[in-house]
Amino acid sequence: MVYVTSWDEFVERTVQLFRASPESTRYCMKYRHCDGKLVLKVTDNKECLKFKTDQAQEAKKMEKLNNIFFTLMARGPDVDMSEITGKEQIESQPAKKGRGRKQ
Amino acid sequence: MVLLQPDPFLNELTSMFERSTGTGSVWVTLKRSSLKSKAQRNKMKTAEQPIEYRCLVRATNGKKTISTSVGAKDHQRFQASYATILKAHMTALKKRERKDRKKAAEDKKEGGSKKPKRA
Repeated sequence: MVYVTSWDEFVERTVQLFRASPESTRYCMKYRHCDGKLVLKVTDNKECLKFKTDQAQEAKKMEKLNNIFFTLMARGPDVDMSEITGKEQIESQPAKKGRGRKQ
Repeated sequence: MVLLQPDPFLNELTSMFERSTGTGSVWVTLKRSSLKSKAQRNKMKTAEQPIEYRCLVRATNGKKTISTSVGAKDHQRFQASYATILKAHMTALKKRERKDRKKAAEDKKEGGSKKPKRA
């Protein structure tokens, strides 16, 4: 078991792992306040992917991963992921327009 | 293991975070589960009944374990409240590095300005 250092790689590999074995994959988060540490772990009991951080910025990214996993687990592995990303696009579009008007 | 409704679970999770500030950790696990035993699942499979899966959420502080299950209909509401709780309690994480860099840069500047004074 090795910690994955790149966040994007971690997201990609964990989602792949879940899609490969949706019924045996779990996503675990450990938060330790006194040390200010956050560890994310995704495993299907054969392969284990871990990510460790102490940065608040990474916790924000984790929120997105939480949303991905909630959606995948509650709705099923075949769910259209564009629904999740689609919302982000909708959110970001008005912001872009706003910037345009200001200019 | 106590299976709670989503809202009491979130309340209990909040107090778990509050109690673990001095010492200890909090674990939260998400898993796709049918909440049925393997024997039950096999029965349903042979009967060709569809198996309903939900997202099982478990939380522990090492002493006490609580759990809840979130279905396809209510997961969005749950994940929003969950994100709010995390945001409110993950305060021990370090803020952006940029600030540290700025501080470091300021320290260097101060150090730099001090040196000529000494000279």
